[in-house]
Amino acid sequence: MPDSKEELIDDVGHVLLEVGTLLMSSGASTGRIRTTVTRISEAFELRTELLITQRALTISVNDNESDHFFSSIKRTSPHGVNFKIVSGISRMSWRVVEEKWTVDQIWKDLERLKSLPHYPRIIILTIVALAGASFCRLAGGSPIDLIIAFIATFCGLWVRQEAHKLEFNPYLCVFFASFTAAMLSGLAVKLGWGSDHAFATSVLYLIPGVPLINTFSDLIDGNIQNGIVRGINGMLISFSIALGLLGAILIYKF
Amino acid sequence: MDTEWLLIFEKTIWFGFAAIGFGILFNVPTRTLLPIYLLAAVGGLTKVILVHFGAGVIIASLAGASLIGILSTVTAHNKHAPPLVFSIPAVIPMVPGIFAYKMMLGFIKLTGNTSASDYSQILFDTVNNGLKALFILMTLAVGVSIPFLLTRKASAKELKIKKGNKTT
Repeated sequence: MPDSKEELIDDVGHVLLEVGTLLMSSGASTGRIRTTVTRISEAFELRTELLITQRALTISVNDNESDHFFSSIKRTSPHGVNFKIVSGISRMSWRVVEEKWTVDQIWKDLERLKSLPHYPRIIILTIVALAGASFCRLAGGSPIDLIIAFIATFCGLWVRQEAHKLEFNPYLCVFFASFTAAMLSGLAVKLGWGSDHAFATSVLYLIPGVPLINTFSDLIDGNIQNGIVRGINGMLISFSIALGLLGAILIYKF
Repeated sequence: MDTEWLLIFEKTIWFGFAAIGFGILFNVPTRTLLPIYLLAAVGGLTKVILVHFGAGVIIASLAGASLIGILSTVTAHNKHAPPLVFSIPAVIPMVPGIFAYKMMLGFIKLTGNTSASDYSQILFDTVNNGLKALFILMTLAVGVSIPFLLTRKASAKELKIKKGNKTT
């Protein structure tokens, strides 16, 4: 337990920075970050003001009595979407309010959430490939098209994961993945095994769903700047997908 | 007629699988996978049935996405996770991939050499497909946000607390 009010303000400030940046990199909307951080700081009877941007978080914590302020800025780490963390922090913030958690307990829970494992790689690849086949079926593909979409998605996602490991630019990773999937499914179509449906749906697993929906939530919430930034990010990803598809179209002369 | 309904219900299954794929990709908690499947299936079924009865694909998508948005707040209470964990993977299968693809193909054709008579037809198709893709994407985002726009609450949990029957 901190000795003085000043120490409490500093401790809470540090943990709130971590909570906010974790939420941002895991794919929470700006409004959600603001409510969660405010909720935790109110549990400690502190007042927190936030400046939330896509790449960094600025925070200022104060109790309404003293002159002591905690002000700091933290970079958002570029991890991918992770709803286990969004969901875990949401639960944790309510327990902070209801069970009067200390700062140390919050740190412990954050460490636990960060160490939660992702799904095994083979399961991710298989299920996402199954999703690719589902998209193909929804667009009206035949059983052969489904198999083509499955294989193309599987290989495309594998390429994307490998490209991430090699730390390529994220948009370039999407391009590689889209190009791989389009080349594979395009080859099958070119050989006369499948139809257009397999080709068009083999890249759909790359859709930037979280950026696009968060764009709208932010815009309508009045966080116009963040909305625009997220929208442009989503557009760049879509553009990378289109570029990969375009490459295959030009090579196969569809 | 019967085979048509069979096709509609078969699509429901695929909507669920597509949503699960995105759920896994977004690393959702395991306990939320089944609700995501069901939400996507119900939303997808709504959309397909509305299209079957002659509604436009945009309105049908709005209805499906709104249903997913509303149901996701209910599920959020039971499964202790924010609504977006359920709603975002569940609406993604409704993303208009084919329209977007046709639009892109159209743009490529428009840059090539086409005769004046072909050009207007291709332009017509491209703009039509592109607008459909754009509007469906927008309706999906609107649909997911609808519960919060209507209730004017920032958190799904506040909805319940204000009513007085508090949960842990």
